Amino acid sequence: MPVFSSTEELQEVMFTLWNEMKGNPEIAEKLISSRLIVQFQYKDPHGLLTVDCLDGKEMKIIVGKTELKPVIEMSMKADVAHEFWLGKVNVPMALMMGKIVSKGPTPKALALLPVIKPAYSIYPKVWELKGKNQRVG
Amino acid sequence: MRLGVFQSPTKVLFGEGTISGIGDEISQFGASKPLLVTDKVLLEKGVLEPVLRSLDESGFGKLPIFSDVPPDSDVECVRQAAAFARQAKADLVIACGGGSVIDTAKVLNIGLSLPGDLLEYEGINSFSQALKPLIAVPTTAGTGSEMSAVAMIMDKANGKKLIFGSRYLYADLAILDPNLLCSLPPRLTAGTGMDALTHCLEAYVSLGANVIADALCLDAMALIFQNLKLATTNGDDPEARANTLLASAMAGMAFTNTGVGIVHALAHTIGGAFGTHHGLTNAVFLPYGMNFNMPSSYERYARCWRHLCSLDPGASGAKYGISAKLVMEADFEKDARSLVKAVSDLADSCSIPKRLRDLGVPELADDKILELAAVAGTDPAIMFNPQEASIEDLSNLIREAY
Ligand SMILES: NC(=O)c1ccc[n+]([C@@H]2O[C@H](COP(=O)([O-])OP(=O)(O)OC[C@H]3O[C@@H](n4cnc5c(N)ncnc54)[C@H](O)[C@@H]3O)[C@@H](O)[C@H]2O)c1
Ligand SMILES: [Fe+2]
Repeated sequence: MPVFSSTEELQEVMFTLWNEMKGNPEIAEKLISSRLIVQFQYKDPHGLLTVDCLDGKEMKIIVGKTELKPVIEMSMKADVAHEFWLGKVNVPMALMMGKIVSKGPTPKALALLPVIKPAYSIYPKVWELKGKNQRVG
Repeated sequence: MRLGVFQSPTKVLFGEGTISGIGDEISQFGASKPLLVTDKVLLEKGVLEPVLRSLDESGFGKLPIFSDVPPDSDVECVRQAAAFARQAKADLVIACGGGSVIDTAKVLNIGLSLPGDLLEYEGINSFSQALKPLIAVPTTAGTGSEMSAVAMIMDKANGKKLIFGSRYLYADLAILDPNLLCSLPPRLTAGTGMDALTHCLEAYVSLGANVIADALCLDAMALIFQNLKLATTNGDDPEARANTLLASAMAGMAFTNTGVGIVHALAHTIGGAFGTHHGLTNAVFLPYGMNFNMPSSYERYARCWRHLCSLDPGASGAKYGISAKLVMEADFEKDARSLVKAVSDLADSCSIPKRLRDLGVPELADDKILELAAVAGTDPAIMFNPQEASIEDLSNLIREAY
């Protein structure tokens, strides 16, 4: 059984998580300065979320289809994403095992890992409050 | 048991004269329009003679040849090669050369086999279709690219290497014919051999290490210690050439399944910035990287040393380019240090430059060192290093190796 019951649930959780990161200056500033557009493509259930930091000023989070052309595309099963945010996925090993697809410059994608690591502690709360439309922090 | 993965789908033919079977192999793939990728030096030096003769004898004598591959091939070259291959309607690719040629052939095969621009496939696992069959015939014994699922291509405009990694980048067949290496000059023999040794020693302590790869690393490492000095000083020795070639392929099978580490991260960075040879740069960094990893990996290094000693217990290390006797102590740390010393000795016995400055790297200001360390810190290789490395650690290693 996949951990997310629907696309809506998956996208809501991921949006809430990224919105929390946007509100956390320690994380947001570093993401914005990367000037990257990163797109997460999920399977089982299907889902799409794009984080646009291209202008170096603001972090935009887009749920669902977009015309933006991402610099990095990360694709994985939604279950892998869930495990990742719980801090249980070794990304290099998951890449090696074919569980994650990384399209675009891999070093830039890997450079973001330490930046988003503090969000591991946010995710369990986001997960707990899913469907309740509440802010975590 | 730790989760792991191991795959190695490449058929390997090895031994003197195996290149003569290439025609049959092409036919077994059902191909009729093979394309040969190589470089000018190999054509001019006549290294390809036996390959061309075998192809001729099997009716493929007039095959198209792309030979404009520079050392550390770049995007422009690969795009040209892909266009050439498409025009020739190639249905199989033969790469005959060093790592630069094999990596070029892998990426051109993406451009030949898949729609769109080949740069769209930069990344890891970014395509899921089989490519045209690829036969890799290495003429250096070091990169292991004939057995690996990765290729690296220089993006000169942006001064960085692009990484392509996919299970579909494995060669379908590798032909390891030591006769093709007899013309490899001593410096390149030594440098490429140290690349293979680095693959062994980084894969063996990597966070992705696994028991299948361990076995390959240990025996490949031993083959390199036993043969590299001889292959370097007497390039015509077919046995030494054959053993280093096998070791390089075994190390390639291992590292493509385990990842490498800090030495490769630094070598990719310095090579990308200053065009130094990949293997020689690894050779310079290897003892420093091993010392850095000592706290987490001394037991693993000691096991390597003990494996080496067990093959010729108590022998003088002289014939292997090692100053000490092959004796193991009761103490892991001592044995680990013996291994690091043996690595430095082997490099010395093959006249490998000891420092980055000897490879032509200019003197580096502090801010440049920091910049390079930051690049090395995001190189995918470092993600598998057993010891976490800060930018300061990486800067220190560059300084020490300079
Ligand atoms: N894909 C992988 O798994 C992998 C792993 C490690 C390194 N690499 C890449 O491999 C490249 C380095 O490859 P390399 O070390 O084999 O060197 P190389 O392919 O760049 O060749 C170096 C020089 O040696 C010459 N040469 C090759 N074989 C010869 C022979 N038998 N006789 C005489 N001259 C010969 C070539 O013409 C060239 O001028 C780098 O670009 C590196 O990034 C790839
Ligand atoms: Fe290498």
